[in-house]
Amino acid sequence: MRVTQNTSANQVLASLQTILKRQQMLQQQAATGVKINNPGDDPVATQQVLHLKSLSAAGDQFTRNITNATSTLTVVESAMSSMGDVLVRAKELAIAMSNDTYNAESQAAAAKEFDQLRSQVISVGNTEFNGKFIFGGFKNDTAPFDLTTGAFNGTNDETKVEIARGSFLSTSYSGETLVSGGSPPGSTGVNIVGIFDNIATALASNNSAGVRAELENLDAAQAQVMAGRAEIGSRMNRLTSANSVNDDMKLSITQVVAGLQDVDYAQVLSDLTKQQNAFQTAVASSAKISQISLLDYLR
Amino acid sequence: MSLNSLLSTGLSSLNAQMLAIEVTGENITNVNTPGYSRQTAMLVNAPTTLFRSFPMGNGVKVSAVQRSYDSFLQGQMMVANSSSGQAKTVNSALQMVQPLYNELTTEGLGQTMQQFFSTWQDLAANPQGVPERQSILSVGQQLVEDFHRINTSLVSVKDNMNQSLEQVTSDINDALKQIAQLNVSIKQIETGQGVANELRDQRELVVRQLSEMVGVTFKDETDGSVSVNLLSGQSLVSGKDAASLSLSTNVATGYYDVMLTPPGGGPAANATAFIGGPGNTKGEIGGMLQIRDTTINKYIADLDELAYSLANQMNAQHSAGYGLTGTQMDFFSPAAGTAPPVPAATAAGYSALIQVNLTSANQVAAADTNPALGGTGNNLNALSIAALYNKSLNMSTGNATPEAFYNSMVGKVGVDVQGAERGENQTGAIVSQLNNQRESVAGVSLDEELVNLTKYQKAYEGAARVINVGTEMMDTVLGLIK
Repeated sequence: MRVTQNTSANQVLASLQTILKRQQMLQQQAATGVKINNPGDDPVATQQVLHLKSLSAAGDQFTRNITNATSTLTVVESAMSSMGDVLVRAKELAIAMSNDTYNAESQAAAAKEFDQLRSQVISVGNTEFNGKFIFGGFKNDTAPFDLTTGAFNGTNDETKVEIARGSFLSTSYSGETLVSGGSPPGSTGVNIVGIFDNIATALASNNSAGVRAELENLDAAQAQVMAGRAEIGSRMNRLTSANSVNDDMKLSITQVVAGLQDVDYAQVLSDLTKQQNAFQTAVASSAKISQISLLDYLR
Repeated sequence: MSLNSLLSTGLSSLNAQMLAIEVTGENITNVNTPGYSRQTAMLVNAPTTLFRSFPMGNGVKVSAVQRSYDSFLQGQMMVANSSSGQAKTVNSALQMVQPLYNELTTEGLGQTMQQFFSTWQDLAANPQGVPERQSILSVGQQLVEDFHRINTSLVSVKDNMNQSLEQVTSDINDALKQIAQLNVSIKQIETGQGVANELRDQRELVVRQLSEMVGVTFKDETDGSVSVNLLSGQSLVSGKDAASLSLSTNVATGYYDVMLTPPGGGPAANATAFIGGPGNTKGEIGGMLQIRDTTINKYIADLDELAYSLANQMNAQHSAGYGLTGTQMDFFSPAAGTAPPVPAATAAGYSALIQVNLTSANQVAAADTNPALGGTGNNLNALSIAALYNKSLNMSTGNATPEAFYNSMVGKVGVDVQGAERGENQTGAIVSQLNNQRESVAGVSLDEELVNLTKYQKAYEGAARVINVGTEMMDTVLGLIK
């Protein structure tokens, strides 16, 4: 093949262009820290990265949902716990009053305390969190329990949130089940407000046998609240494990994405150095070649 | 053989070497002229005569000044130029498209879509929340704007290509006219025994430049002219006549049709279907038409389909639920014609039309029963809507979630860009390889010319010496007489 000055000049130009293009690509990689800067760099990996990123974003949302659910359930749990405290005090008082030894005066005082405890049960049933009544079901913008009768006006719907893909967890507990013992009241358990009413009635008529009769129901009421607390406790456990699964998933996604996308800096820098050397060599050699001409030797 | 013939032999050499030096000079001065082909003075010895039964030469003469030209190489270069012109155009257009889908470094439609469904999760956690409801409306608006933005940008790439047709057709017309004019000049010179080497170089250069803009074939005619045809056979240059391209706006599409007026005049025919070669794969004009009429339309169709299916699904689920005040409304407008699977006809253009239908945060339907009856804390519809993000929709490519469908759109663009970059690199490499080959055949090597210069100069000196000797011999002969 005949080689002319223009052939060599074109060749030099073409190789310098190639080297510069590679250099620019490597510099971009070094600057951004990622191998794939455009979908065209690697379409298959791009799709994988996008999918993984969407999984990771979904994971972030689940984390938020889990945090929300945890704080709501904590409030539900503490409401149930204070309701348990009320029942413990009620039981003490009821046991004391079931003895015939108390006079009418102390019975009247006890009746007053039962009245207090009763309104405490109702007010715990009307606990608000973030402006919403936690035991109201879907009707959570009005107090679920009537302040005077203790009748339940809420719904028994469960408020669910998604804590993992396709997996839902209820953040509410039916106020009617907890306080009124099902719908209609007493159908699945005991009506706590009703028990308090009965005890108050018995004390008013100095009927210690009537108080004794309700002791069993108070036990049942305690069990009813305990069942609720156990239920919430197990949900909290589910949240904890869902959270750690979610965190693990996000972490491993981050690692996979990094593997697909991130540059190996050592590799990039050594490649860059190679290209710089190649560039210098190309420039130097072309300078040397173009210096030589027959003109120098023809005199 | 006489002394005179010795002198005339010497003279013929002086003339021939002189001419050869002139040709060498021409080569050296044109070393950097684009399209110039190296010329060589072809020296032959003059016919011999018998002198005392010995054949004796009568000196040297220049039989021709030949230019190094390889018509096969010219053909190959034209093919390569056509592919390279197309690939460059396609690649530069796709480089404009790619950023629209680049979710890797910027936020895009995919992320907005995800955020949109995320806001429904937030609403599920707090169904009455005004901020949650408001953010659904604003992210919904963002989603709609993303659809509009990508649609508008894609259409503007098409418009761009359409605009570029103006420039390229006028360049093509210029080239065709030049070729026709050069045909005339070359014919004129060469009928008078002349050699139009430089003009032929120019003509071949113009033909090569033309082939980068539009796929053409050429044929050397016996009268010294070249005929240029489109790859599909239509004549562009025939002898002294050049065809011309014009643009007329197509009423249906609003884009240009390329009209071809044949050489020598005649009715213009619509050449849009074949001017770009088979499948619009040749020449810059082919690249422009391919991007304008095929590639971008595919992307827009995908975008329309995504917008349409998403709106359909959203509307079905959203209008089944209830707003805070009991409203049952479509989330997006315009309302879709039918349920999925999507009839392509109704999806067309949807990505430009889609709007948020709701006007107030109260209308966001979180509940699956009327809140007036079932309570405002009902979040069941919000949960169902949030789940749509992971629901497989019946798309034209098979069942896919909105996210998967969008990712595959990004993938398609990525594959196209990768292909276009590869195409440009490959065809560019072929062009430069062929240029090197042409350079190797027809290029001027300074060293070679310098050697030739020395060679001819020495020969000239030699011939002068022959004349010198002849003159001295003549003097000797004349001295005898004295």
